Amino acid sequence: MQTMHPTLLIGPADWDAQLMPLDEFRARLDSLWRANPQAGGAIVFGNAADHAALSYLTNFTPKLEAAIALLSRDGAAQLLVGGGVNMIPAAKPLTWIGKLLPLRSAAKAVGEWSTGLPDGSGVMMIAGDAMPDAMHRDVVGAFGSTVAVDDGTAIVQAQMRRKSKRERAAIGAASVILGEAVAGLRQAKDGGITAAVLAAEHAAWRSGAQDVRSLFSLDGGRTLLPFDGPVEMAVDPLQIYLAVRQAGYWAEGFVMLSAQPQAPLIAAEAALQAALAQVAPGATPAALAQTLATATPGFSRHPVTTPSVIGIGLALQQDVAAAEPLIAGEVLSLRVGVSDPQQGAAMVSAMVAVTETGHDIFWSAV
Amino acid sequence: MTFDERLMEINRRLGERGLDRIVALHDGAHFIEKPDPILVLSGFKSLGPCAVVLERGGRVTLVVTPAWDAARAAQGRPDLHVIAADDVVNGLAGVFDGPGAAGSVGLAAMPFGIAQRIAQLIPDALPADAIVFDAARRKTDTEIAHAREAARIAELGYRHLLDIARPGVTEDELAVELRWHSKSLGAEDNFVLLCAGPHNKAVAPSHGRPLQAGDIIVVELTPSYRGQLVQICRTITVGTAGDTLRRKYALVVEAMHAGIAAAQPGRPMADVCRAINDVLEAQGYGEFCHPPHIRRRGHGLGFGSIEPGDVALDNATILEPDMLFMIHPNQYLPETGYLLCGEPVLMTAGGAVTLTAQTATLAEIEL
Repeated sequence: MQTMHPTLLIGPADWDAQLMPLDEFRARLDSLWRANPQAGGAIVFGNAADHAALSYLTNFTPKLEAAIALLSRDGAAQLLVGGGVNMIPAAKPLTWIGKLLPLRSAAKAVGEWSTGLPDGSGVMMIAGDAMPDAMHRDVVGAFGSTVAVDDGTAIVQAQMRRKSKRERAAIGAASVILGEAVAGLRQAKDGGITAAVLAAEHAAWRSGAQDVRSLFSLDGGRTLLPFDGPVEMAVDPLQIYLAVRQAGYWAEGFVMLSAQPQAPLIAAEAALQAALAQVAPGATPAALAQTLATATPGFSRHPVTTPSVIGIGLALQQDVAAAEPLIAGEVLSLRVGVSDPQQGAAMVSAMVAVTETGHDIFWSAV
Repeated sequence: MTFDERLMEINRRLGERGLDRIVALHDGAHFIEKPDPILVLSGFKSLGPCAVVLERGGRVTLVVTPAWDAARAAQGRPDLHVIAADDVVNGLAGVFDGPGAAGSVGLAAMPFGIAQRIAQLIPDALPADAIVFDAARRKTDTEIAHAREAARIAELGYRHLLDIARPGVTEDELAVELRWHSKSLGAEDNFVLLCAGPHNKAVAPSHGRPLQAGDIIVVELTPSYRGQLVQICRTITVGTAGDTLRRKYALVVEAMHAGIAAAQPGRPMADVCRAINDVLEAQGYGEFCHPPHIRRRGHGLGFGSIEPGDVALDNATILEPDMLFMIHPNQYLPETGYLLCGEPVLMTAGGAVTLTAQTATLAEIEL
């Protein structure tokens, strides 16, 4: 889900070895190397807007400037972080990697690192598409012509699909905070749109959220807006989107609040419940989307909640293949949005983990 | 200067360069150091990757992603041609249907995955960043009004910080509270750089360290009001400040005021940096006036154009009325560590004027 991106990521992002021990990261790296036996190393990019893969492998959240991890098959790791040498102490608590260097000399560091790779081995570039164009040229140029650079992004994305027990716990904790934010929203909903959104956000921050994003509607859910200044009026129905991050992991929710029965909301809630009942290993996102569509006759699909099934975790949105059967360990956001020129619009959603026998609901608007 | 007058100026420069159109790009990842040509050309702050095509003659086309956000753009700027797209490159492809020379703006900062496709779409486009950002080196009347409001919010945020900072509260808790507080005052974003310690080496993003008695808090509060950033830089002691810290902070403040006094129309930005350095060098801190201790003595304020650039010795930009930038000595001193003091200034015909009601002084939190 696209929200307004903040200029600086604030909020707690220190590496918590109790929550996500080093063994968890080692297992992820082992899996990465197994998936590409020719790779002697991996270069992993992340910036404030796009760093799911970087966080997955290093725990690092690039709060300020971009970062690059240089990971070697032999276990050596270094992290290039934004700012000068004086910024490095502030970055250290955010990662298990002990060797941190300034990003400003990225090409030089990459060049030196590549000379230590085993002869004939290649390098995986992960999330390289998110790298600024100018930096990408410099970094790839630093490898010279002797090192083959493959795109390893898809490998990591595939790894990230099935969440470990610890990851599911982290998403569950984020979902609990999401629930507290929604409770704050309900309490403040009559005080005006901005007051309600701020109450929700404050509840999340107070509960230890690492990040909070919100969108709201002034037109009963037909469109969503980012905050651009205070809106004092109260609306009914009140349509809100909230995303909450905790320990690196996201939970999101679409909520509509109204004192009156709303036909679009009733239809959307029924559809969501029908789709939730089908979540289990082997079901496909396409089948879930079909259930959502057939359960809301007379309404059009809302463009904001398209696609209706997404993966969620370190990335706020990870696309899932429509025809790919769900697997145990996946965590999804199931979203249903409906609209009609006469009856209005509504969007609701649920956070759900696929288990061996069915599913666990982490949070639901229904 | 109005928004439309600036757009006419950009259009005039387009003609001077012999270009028929420019394609401006931004990835939606708003960052204090990254100028946003979309904001300059359309006034629209995007959620996702976005493009503006400015044709010679003045026609502006805005390509908005995600597609569902195009309604917001169209409502905010009904005079523009708005295209809804889920892929900014595909959206742009439909706009390019005629011959003519094109320039690109913001391409180098775009993510590689998008930039490569853009380069294929407009292979002969010349970098034209200066056309847009240089023309926006002076703020519009609206941007200046927004800057004043952002400065007011920043100062209220600082007062709030003095109320809530106490031993045991973590840097992270302070940072999130400050951002939330500024949002409650109308700021849509806030670059809150805050850290603390007995001897700071730099100002850095907050983390989980709890404040302790004897800490020195250094903070950059940078709220954005309707897309216009303004910053204040402050230093606070947790407990009573010692004499050495008081004297050294007074020195840094003196340097800042020397810089503000040196900021005069017609003089190069480098003079501002030199005036600050002179004060510090006279007290024997010459070696601390260079990296890694200090890189610059201030900077422009986006999110649109970040001209007139850094307050640095190598910046020859001539200062003009309506330029907006930060002057912050932000100096590491061996006796005290890193100290922050800085004000947003607006250039006028008579010199630089601070936008804050109260300039930096060393603050103390009573224990």
